[in-house]
Amino acid sequence: MIDDFEDHCWKDIVSPDILEIYSSYKRNTFVGPAPALLAIDLYELVYRGGPNPPHQISRDYPSTCGQYAYEAIEPTKRLFAAARAAHLPIFYSTGDVRSTSRPALVSATKRVKPSIDAADYAIRSEFKPQPGDVVITKQRASAFYGTPLAAHLTQLGVQSLIICGESTSGCVRASAVDAYSHGYHVVVVEECCFDRSVLSHKVNLFDLHHKYCDVMRLEEVLAHLVGHPAVKKAS
Amino acid sequence: MSEPIWNEFLTERDKAVFAASGYGARGGFGKRPALLIIDVNWAFCGDRPEPILESIKRWRNSCGEDAWKALPYIRSLIDKCHEKGVPVLYTTGVRREDNWDAGSWGWKNSRNEEDRRTVVTNLDGNEIVTRIAPAPQDIVVLKQKPSGFFGTNMASYLTLLGCDSLIVTGTTTSGCVRATVLDAFSLNYRIALAEEGCFDRSQASHAINLCDMNAKYADVVKTSEILAYLDTLPAAMFDLPKGTATAPQGQTQKRAVHF
Repeated sequence: MIDDFEDHCWKDIVSPDILEIYSSYKRNTFVGPAPALLAIDLYELVYRGGPNPPHQISRDYPSTCGQYAYEAIEPTKRLFAAARAAHLPIFYSTGDVRSTSRPALVSATKRVKPSIDAADYAIRSEFKPQPGDVVITKQRASAFYGTPLAAHLTQLGVQSLIICGESTSGCVRASAVDAYSHGYHVVVVEECCFDRSVLSHKVNLFDLHHKYCDVMRLEEVLAHLVGHPAVKKAS
Repeated sequence: MSEPIWNEFLTERDKAVFAASGYGARGGFGKRPALLIIDVNWAFCGDRPEPILESIKRWRNSCGEDAWKALPYIRSLIDKCHEKGVPVLYTTGVRREDNWDAGSWGWKNSRNEEDRRTVVTNLDGNEIVTRIAPAPQDIVVLKQKPSGFFGTNMASYLTLLGCDSLIVTGTTTSGCVRATVLDAFSLNYRIALAEEGCFDRSQASHAINLCDMNAKYADVVKTSEILAYLDTLPAAMFDLPKGTATAPQGQTQKRAVHF
């Protein structure tokens, strides 16, 4: 029997045996104090080829998440709207496109021939950064690795993160685990994360939810954000 | 403010440059500080107060008498922080018995191999000195490199505590204190150095490193002013460790010497 804690997208692939093993992780989930929104890698490259099954377009668009990227657009717009209404600090990450900033073999994943076209790494127009937002450029999977993100969060007095974006199994997971290791309370918003592989998406959310973060449904997060006291900027 | 202790080491041009460049402005205290005590262990203090040239015969890293002069100031800050429920974090070293993980430390000191031997029976050089030994609710961060942040959970603890600033004491001013202050600065913590609570084996390095840090990264402040600031804070702001009866991590139970 599935209870609320396990009532998520992975329930059709995780067996009762596995749920039994993980039963001691069951707990209340919540948006922590002084949160910020962290949107991982919502750049154009993952929307290339349109809202199609990734396997049909991946030959031409190897980085695309296809239909899964498009399915997440509306929920993610709602998340951004709620975060802005609550005056949360908003952070994005995207790829570093400066051609001279790294040796040839340094990239976020082991994908063959990563693109470094600046247009590919522009934030998708639906989530266009607004004045005051912060865009972190990174070279590796985690938004914390080799970046000043932790310093910015300290200065703002942020103690919790709400994470969305892609890919669930790659940069979202890496960033969420680093956030946990840095001592932040982390929420990952289920409908606002996506991956090119549905299986990887589900298993990684399962892992994150039990060990490092609270995976919460969008409606729960929105309910928390209504009337949430905004983080005050450090004076 | 009285004449800074570093002025006697500066040239007239240096003083004019600092005055004209805007450096050395007061950064100010934060609202949620933690007290940080860097490496005030037997290895850096020696097991008794004696002149440094005497002390370093046995304890190669000792700062001699200056360490012992700093202890009452550090003690007063610890007592005030305990009274107010302000977090107290210590750093000290940790090393394999065979000293293999000394790594780069071995490249610049000809006496590094001495760390494999015990100077005083039953006394671990990495143990925090008795006079300021950690209380059960205090946090001891074990490290292997100069900065208290490098390869440690320090930043994670400060995030969990919700700290926005650090009060820093300890040793050496030019080594681990400076490295830790620099990393804390890079992480956007406000930093106050308790002047009388910092010490170094080199008088010139102590003065000039305080000068550098005061110019660029931190406020060098008298301990009395920090105590007065701590008095203004509300009590019990922090969710501190509960502590247990056993010694905090890094503190052995053995105590050969007591003062």
